[in-house]
Amino acid sequence: MKGAMFNIDNGYLEGLCRGFKTGILTQNDYLNLVQCETIEDLKLHLAGTDYGNFLANEPSPISVSTLDDKLREKVVAEFVHMRCHAVEPLSTFLDFITYSYMIDNIVLLITGALHQRPLQELLPKCHPLGSFEQMEAIHIATTPAELYNAVLVDTPLAPFFVDCISEADLDEMNVELIRNTLYKAYLEAFYDFCTQKLGGETAEVMCEILAFEADRRALIITINSFDTELTKEDRARLFPKCGKLYPDGLAALARADDYEQVRSVAEYYAEYQALFAGAGNNPEEKTLEDRFFEYEVKLNVNAFLRQFHYGVFYAYLKLKEQECRNIVWIAECVAQRHRAKIDNYIPIL
Amino acid sequence: MSLFRSEEMALCQLFLQSEAAYACVSELGELGLAQFRDLNPFVNAFQRKFVNEVRRCDEMERKLRYLEKEIKKDGIPMLDSGENVEAPQPREMIDLEATFEKLENELREVNQNAEALKRNYLELTELKHILRKTQVFFDEREIHDVDESLTANLIEDQYVGTQMMNLAAKQGHLGFVAGVILRERIPPFERMLWRACRGNVFLRQAEIDTPLEDPTTSDQVYKSVFIIFFQGDQLKIRVKKICEGFRATLYPCPETPNDRREMAVGVMTRIEDLNTVLSQTQDHRHRVLVAAAKSIKIWFTKVRKIKAIYHTLNLFNLDVTQKCLIAECWVPVSDLEAIHLALRRGTERSGSSVPPILNRMETREVPPTYFRLNKFTKGFQMLIDAYGVGTYREANPAPYAIITFPFLFAVMFGDFGHGLIMTLFALWMVMNEKPLIAKKSTSEIWNIFFGGRYIILLMGFFSMYTGLIYNDFFSKSLNLFGSQWFVPQKSMYIFKEKDVMLDPKNAYANSPYPIGLDPVWQVADNKINFLNAYKMKVSIIIGVCHMIFGVMMSLWNHMFFRKKINILCDFVPQIIFMTFIFFYLVLLVFHKWVAYYATGDDEGLGPHCAPSILITFINMVLFKNGEKIGECEPYMYGGQQGFQKFLVVIAVLCIPWMLAGKPYLIYKYRQLQHQQFTNVSTAGLTEESDQVQMANGAAAPSGDHEENEKMEDIVIHQAIHTIEYVLGCVSNTASYLRLWALSLAHAQLSEVLWGMVLRLGLQSGSWFGGVFLFMIFAAWACLTLAILVLMEGLSAFLHTLRLHWVEFQNKFYQGAGYPFSPFSFDTILETAQNVEE
Repeated sequence: MKGAMFNIDNGYLEGLCRGFKTGILTQNDYLNLVQCETIEDLKLHLAGTDYGNFLANEPSPISVSTLDDKLREKVVAEFVHMRCHAVEPLSTFLDFITYSYMIDNIVLLITGALHQRPLQELLPKCHPLGSFEQMEAIHIATTPAELYNAVLVDTPLAPFFVDCISEADLDEMNVELIRNTLYKAYLEAFYDFCTQKLGGETAEVMCEILAFEADRRALIITINSFDTELTKEDRARLFPKCGKLYPDGLAALARADDYEQVRSVAEYYAEYQALFAGAGNNPEEKTLEDRFFEYEVKLNVNAFLRQFHYGVFYAYLKLKEQECRNIVWIAECVAQRHRAKIDNYIPIL
Repeated sequence: MSLFRSEEMALCQLFLQSEAAYACVSELGELGLAQFRDLNPFVNAFQRKFVNEVRRCDEMERKLRYLEKEIKKDGIPMLDSGENVEAPQPREMIDLEATFEKLENELREVNQNAEALKRNYLELTELKHILRKTQVFFDEREIHDVDESLTANLIEDQYVGTQMMNLAAKQGHLGFVAGVILRERIPPFERMLWRACRGNVFLRQAEIDTPLEDPTTSDQVYKSVFIIFFQGDQLKIRVKKICEGFRATLYPCPETPNDRREMAVGVMTRIEDLNTVLSQTQDHRHRVLVAAAKSIKIWFTKVRKIKAIYHTLNLFNLDVTQKCLIAECWVPVSDLEAIHLALRRGTERSGSSVPPILNRMETREVPPTYFRLNKFTKGFQMLIDAYGVGTYREANPAPYAIITFPFLFAVMFGDFGHGLIMTLFALWMVMNEKPLIAKKSTSEIWNIFFGGRYIILLMGFFSMYTGLIYNDFFSKSLNLFGSQWFVPQKSMYIFKEKDVMLDPKNAYANSPYPIGLDPVWQVADNKINFLNAYKMKVSIIIGVCHMIFGVMMSLWNHMFFRKKINILCDFVPQIIFMTFIFFYLVLLVFHKWVAYYATGDDEGLGPHCAPSILITFINMVLFKNGEKIGECEPYMYGGQQGFQKFLVVIAVLCIPWMLAGKPYLIYKYRQLQHQQFTNVSTAGLTEESDQVQMANGAAAPSGDHEENEKMEDIVIHQAIHTIEYVLGCVSNTASYLRLWALSLAHAQLSEVLWGMVLRLGLQSGSWFGGVFLFMIFAAWACLTLAILVLMEGLSAFLHTLRLHWVEFQNKFYQGAGYPFSPFSFDTILETAQNVEE
C-alpha cells in the first residue's frame, strides 16, 4: 500500500533514478580506464559506457577541464530533469540537495572577491546546481550583514545565515566560519526536514547519511583547526548537531588539542574507529579523507537497497559526483603521466 | 535457399593481405553476407590495432555534424541523392580530412567574425534604444522643471523621483548610469538596488519592443532600457557593481540633449555601415554552407563506411609476421561464390598481387540462424522471431504461419464487413508502399501497423472468407442465393402466430445453401445454440489438426537431424496419444454430422437419437458403458465400445513409453559404447572409436550437449517433457476453444452495436429520422471502427499469436538460436540515420 501511494507521485522518478544508477561505472570499467594511455583512450572507453558519446562534439585534444565540465553537465542535466518532474515534498527534498551547492558557490565568490578576481573568471567555476539569481551581485557586499541584507535575504539560504550576521568583516577566516556555520545550519535543517516532514524510510536512510556527513564535518573541522587562530569555543559552535557524535563526542572534540585526541574520541564509535584505524599519511595507506569518501560511498550504495524513499536521489547525486571525481582523477593522472597514484580512486561498488 | 529451414552456414577463416584487407572488407560490407567474429574479445577498445583510424573517423564525423548543424540552422536543404557511394580508399581519407578541416576552420572563422559583428551591432542597437528612451526621461524632467506646481496629480513615485532629481539638479551633482538588461531580470534587479543602496537611487525603465538577437546563442531575447539616478561616488560604485552582477550592459549617455542627438546620429550611421558588413558576412557563410550542403550526405556515408570498415578490421587477428590479417566469419554456404568474387574484386582494387585465402573451418560451434526474406515473408518471420529465433536449421514455423495465422485470426474475427475494412486499409498500405516507406515515419504505432501490412492484408482476406461462411456482414446475414428453408404451405397460421417452428422434415429444401450459413438462421431464436455447437466443434477440429501438424513437424525435425531415438521414443508415442484420443474425437464429430439426419427416425438415426459427443468422450476415457435411452442406441456404430477401450489403453500405454523409452535407450547405448571403447582400446584400434565419435558429433551438432548430460538429468528432462506433452494435449485442445469464444463474442458484440445504436436511427420516421440517422450512423461507424475492428482485431490477433507460440510451436520448435547479423553497410548507414533523427 505504501509502495502504491509512493509510486503515484514518485514511482517514475525513482525508477528513473535507479535506472541512472545502473549506468554508474563498474569496477571493470575502472580497470579499463586506468589502462588508458591518453585522454583520447579514456574518451573511447567512456563512449562504450552509459556516458555514450557525450564528448563526441568536442574537438580533440580534450583537456581534463572539458572532461570535467562535460561530466558535470551530464549529472546536472539528469538531476534537473528529475527536479522538473518532481512534486511536493520530493521537490523540496531535491531543492535541499541544491542548497549545499549554493553555499559552496557563495563562499567561492566571496573568496574570489577578496582576492580581487574578476567575476567572469569565477562564474564558470560555480556549480550549476547551486546558481541563483542574485549570485553574481554578491561582491557588492563587504560585511556579512550586507551580504545578508542585499543578497541572501531572498534566497532559501536566508534562515541558515542568521547566525553569521554578527561577524564583523569579510576576511578569509570569517569566510571559512561563514561557510561552516551555513553548512551546520543547512545540515541540521535538512536533517529536521527529513525526520519531521518526511519520516518513514526516507528519514531512516537520510539520517544515516546526514549524520555521517555531520560527523565528518565535525571531525575534519577539528583536525584542520589545530595550529590556527580559531578558539575552542568558536570551533565548538561550528559542529553540526545532528550526527552520532552529538552530544558527548562533540563535547570531547571541542576539548581536543591534537590528532591523537580526535582519534581517541572516534574510538568510541565503531564506524569511525574503523575509518581512523586504516588511515594515515604514508604512501601505502589511504588518507583519512579517502576513507571518509569510501564510507560515504558505502552508505550511498546502501540507500539503494531499500525502496520507496527519497534517499536514492541524494545517494545517486553523491555517487555520480564521486564517479566524476574518480574519472577526473584518472584523467589527471593520465594527462600528467603520473601513474603511480592512478589507483587512488574510490571504487563504487 | 528456402524458408522452411534456415540457411546452411559455414565458419570461414580469411587470410587477407594487410594492404588488401581494407578493400576486401569494404567489398564484403557492400555485399552484406558475412558476420565477423571478434577474435580479440579481451582486448580493450582503445588497445586495438586500428583505433587511430577509428578516432580519425570520429573526428571527421564530429566536423561533419558541426557542418550539418550550421546548415540546418540556416535552413539550407541538404541534397540527398540516395546514391550509394563506395567506401573511399584509405588514402582518400587524408583528402577528406583536409577538406573537412578547411571547411570547419572557415566556418568557425566566419562565425567568429559574425559573432563579433553581431555583438557590435547589438551594442549599437542597445545604445540607440537607450538614447531614444532616455530622451523621454530627460524630457519629463524638463517639463517638470517648467511646471512644478502641476506635479500634484502625478503618480507618487514619479513625483518623489522628479523631486529628488530636481533637488539633485539644483545641488549640481546628480549622477546617472544608463544601460540595458534582460527584461525578466528587472524585478530582482530593482529589489537589489533598493536594498543595497537603501532606497537612495531612482530607477526608470522602459521596455524595448523589438526582440534583440543574442550573438552567442543567436536566440531572440527581450530587453529593457533602464536609467538609474543617484548621488555621490559611493553609490555609483555600488550601482555599477550591481549592474555588473546582473549582466546589465552600461552605455555612456551624454548629459545634454544636443550631445545626445549628435551621438544618436553617429550611432545610426554606424549601424548602417555595420548592416552592410554583416550582410556580406552572412552571404559568405551562406555560400560556404550551400557548397557543403551539396555533398554533406555523401561525406557522411563515406566517413561512416570507413569507420565501419576499421571497426571490422579491429575484430581481426594479426598474423605473427604482421603481413596478413586473419578473420573468422559466418557465411551462408550458398553464397560462398559471391564472397569469393567480392574478395577478388577487393584484391584487384587494392592492387595487391596475393589473392586472399578463404578456408572453410570445421567447428562445433552453433552457427547463426539466417533466412532469406522478402517484404512479404518478413512480417511473418518477425512474429516467429519475437518468440525466439529458431535453432540453427530446425524447421521454421513461419511459412505455415503465412496461412494458419490469418486463418485462425479470421475464425475469431469472422465478419465480412469488418474484414473488408481491414483489407482495404492493408491494401492501401501495400499499394502506397514506396511513398510510405520514403516518409520514414517515427510514430511507433504506425510503424507496427505498416510493418505488418501483409499480415493485415491476409487477415482481412481471410476474415472476409470466414465472414461469408458465418454469413455475417456487420452482424447481418446476406441472402445471396435465397434461403433453402421455407414456411410449409399447411402452416399458414403463421399470420396468427408470432413464432413459427421450421422442421427440417418439411421446411427444408434438402439441398444446402451454397456457401456458409443459411441466412434463415439470422432470424432464428436458436441461432446462438446452433452456432455454439457448430463453432465449438469447428474449433476442436481446427485445433487438433493444427497440433497434429505440429507433431508431424517434430518428425520432420528428427529425421533431418537423424535422431532415430527421438522418432522412436518421442514422436511415435506422441502421435499415437494424440490421434487415438483427440483425433478420434474429431472423427466422432464428423461421424455424427454425417450419420444422423432429420428423417432418420425409423432407423434410430433421428436427431433426438444423436448422442452427445462430449458425454461419449468422457465415458470413453472413464471406461463407462453408455445406457440405452428409449429406442436410441448409445453407440454410433457397431463395436464402438470395444474399439474405444482399445484406443484408450494404447494411448495410456504411450505415457510410460515416452517417459522411460529414451532414458533407457541412452543408458543402454552408453553402456555399449563404454564396453566397446574398453574393448577397442585394449585391441589397440583407437582410430575406429574416434571415427565413431566423430560421426556422432557430425550427425547431431545440436545433440552435442545431450551426450555429456548426466543420466539423472536426462531422466528428469524426459519426465518433464512427457508430463508437459500429456497435460498439454488436454489443455491445448481446450485452449483452442478460444476460437469459438472469441468468434462468438465478436458476433454478439457487433449484433449488440447494431441493435442498440444503428437501429435507433433506422426506427425514427419522417425527415427528422434522416437527420437522426445521419448522426447515429457516425456514432455507429466510429464504434465499429474503434471497438470491433481495432480492439477486437487486436485481441483476436493476440489470441492467434498465443495459439501459434504456445499450442502449435511447443510441439516442435526450440527457438534457441541467435540471428545472423552480417556486416553490411546498408544496415550500418540506416541505423546511423535513425539515431540522427
